Amino acid sequence: MERSQSLATSPAVVGTAAGEGAVRRLVSAPALLAAAAACLAAGALLGFIWAPTDASTMGFSQKIFYYHVPVAETALLAFGVAFVAAILYLRRHDAKYDRLGVVAIRLGLLFSGLVMITGMIWGKAAWGAWWAWEPRLTTFLVVCLLYGGYFVLRSSVEEEQRRATYAALFAIIAFVDVPITFLATRFMPAGLHPVVFTSSGAQMDHRDLLAFLISMLGMTLFFVGLLRLEVAVERLKDELYYLKNRLGR
Amino acid sequence: MAEIEVTGVTKVFGRRDVLRDVSFAVEQGGFLSIMGPNGAGKTTTLRILATLLAPTSGGVRIAGLDPSDDPMPVRRTIGFISHQPLLYLDLTAYENLRFYAEMYGVPERERRISDLLQRVELSHRRYDQVRTFSKGMLQRLAIARALLHQPRVLLLDEPYSGLDPHAVDILDGLLAEIRAEHTFVMVSHSIAKTLELSDQVLVMDGGRVVFRQSGTIDEAHFAAVYREHVSEGVAV
Amino acid sequence: MESAALPVTAPALRVTMWRQLYAIVKKDIVSELRTKEMLLSMFLFAVLAMVIFHFAFSVRAQTDLTYFTGGMLWVTFVFAALLGLNRSFVHEKDEGCLDGLLLCPVDRVTIFLAKMTGNLVFLLVIQALAVPVFTLFFVKASYLGDLPAFLAVLVLADLGVCSVGTLLATISMNTKARDLMLPIVFLPLIIPVLIAATSGTTAIFAQTASLGSLGPKLLFLAAYDGIFVLAAYGTYDFAIGE
Repeated sequence: MERSQSLATSPAVVGTAAGEGAVRRLVSAPALLAAAAACLAAGALLGFIWAPTDASTMGFSQKIFYYHVPVAETALLAFGVAFVAAILYLRRHDAKYDRLGVVAIRLGLLFSGLVMITGMIWGKAAWGAWWAWEPRLTTFLVVCLLYGGYFVLRSSVEEEQRRATYAALFAIIAFVDVPITFLATRFMPAGLHPVVFTSSGAQMDHRDLLAFLISMLGMTLFFVGLLRLEVAVERLKDELYYLKNRLGR
Repeated sequence: MAEIEVTGVTKVFGRRDVLRDVSFAVEQGGFLSIMGPNGAGKTTTLRILATLLAPTSGGVRIAGLDPSDDPMPVRRTIGFISHQPLLYLDLTAYENLRFYAEMYGVPERERRISDLLQRVELSHRRYDQVRTFSKGMLQRLAIARALLHQPRVLLLDEPYSGLDPHAVDILDGLLAEIRAEHTFVMVSHSIAKTLELSDQVLVMDGGRVVFRQSGTIDEAHFAAVYREHVSEGVAV
Repeated sequence: MESAALPVTAPALRVTMWRQLYAIVKKDIVSELRTKEMLLSMFLFAVLAMVIFHFAFSVRAQTDLTYFTGGMLWVTFVFAALLGLNRSFVHEKDEGCLDGLLLCPVDRVTIFLAKMTGNLVFLLVIQALAVPVFTLFFVKASYLGDLPAFLAVLVLADLGVCSVGTLLATISMNTKARDLMLPIVFLPLIIPVLIAATSGTTAIFAQTASLGSLGPKLLFLAAYDGIFVLAAYGTYDFAIGE
């Protein structure tokens, strides 16, 4: 009697309704991921076969642009989602926003890693060096270190509510810092390496543009699919942990 | 209206229910003692009254003010005495009191500080660093600190813990002096002190109020309930 | 002695945010002056860092480190600041006084501003002592003419360090890792300040600075400060409360 009462009154409640929601998300995720796969495949096909090879010095390697930029923008999108989730958590203290934040940042870190890898490949192809301290690579390196700190912070706080609160605070501050960091890298002395190696929109051939947009859509769908999947898994993990503890009492 | 009203307060930390539907009231001039095993939620309740914590649900009113609206006026009406003195060791007794007096905006600061130092019999140590004080002296200074802004309500968190008999006597004396002008809520592990000082007693266990009595306290009954809950094992 | 009977209604307590801010800053400064632990440590650390930099970089005789000066100076100050920031709440934490402070009718943001100001004062004191030493060790040409510019960069960068640092110190003091947590979360966030301050300061020491080149950096630092003080303003209740 006492236990079910407090279960019912506990705000982060674990009830069948919530569990159903999690399962629904699990089901919808594969559909999203399938759509994502289709888009990415289409984008790749169009990009590699249909669109013309870049006229500038970079040639074929420029096509990594179809992955590099979408991945970068998706990473930023992920951190943006975490930012909003953090604000919502601070206002409403609902654990679901904390879970969303963790998952989003984890994915953001993953995509940031991909930005660096694709960026390094591009750099090697474009100027023969694996690394350069140019604005985008540097920014994403700092971003990786920054959000890595997020997980160190989380693991250092034992109490749930405080952990979620501090994590939310950090997610907010970190996200504000991302554009600032990018701006700051402009102050770095320009080296031998080209500062900009994106194809600017205006100069892109319309075929390039189309392939790019499809890739972009595909990557975003990929992200959203993964997000839903992981949030559902986190939710179920939490429920399991909670129920196990209650049984153990 | 009672000086302190707590209605249906629940406090949840993440998934832990620390307080469950706690309600009580204390009339002006009353003295409530809260007892119970460790982890029962006594200190949490006190900290909610002190505005250091906010309840997850339920209402609190102190001197007619609601801390969830604006905690500032409530903070001006309460004083807190803990088993920790809440004093800065590197500052002198005078500097400590002056700091808090400045923070509260106490009028006629210097006179008030002198008066209080006199009352707690620490005038002769006014310019000594608090680091050099004994536990009993720390507690006396802590009382002076708590009274600086003339609060109506005094919250005491195990104030007698760690005091030697002499210090206990002094604390008793001081409490007796100020008894008439304040409302008290005390968390304590000492049955003797509780029975001696209180006109209302609560026993808490597992976040709930399990025993409540006001007026003349039936000592035998209370002692039995207390023993039952405290020796039952750890709550939480 | 007649003890005044306490009235049933509390006396009118009147205090402004500025008085409270001043009270906290004064308390922290007086406390620190009594022991001088932190100031001494920060200063010794700063000088030690400079010495180590010399040994780290002077591989050949007569190496000209002019273009490294901004970097060395700011790395020194960032790490010295970390020492101080970790101690922002040391008195409150060690002596259980945090409750005492939170019980006062004081805005949490006022506490933030006071702690930030205190940290800023300590950092400036250390810098006042350390910069002449640094100049002696590493800077060949006199930059007295550019002193206003140098100070502008210094103060704006310090504000950035202290605002973000105080906010993060508040969070990290409540973690298991405590002292170790602050550098990990603080350093990535302070990189923008480091970039701007380093390049600006190096330019000043190398006599290649101009208003045109420094202007954007100063503006950037000021914007950084403004943004993070604002962020702290919005979130400090959560950082320091329970």
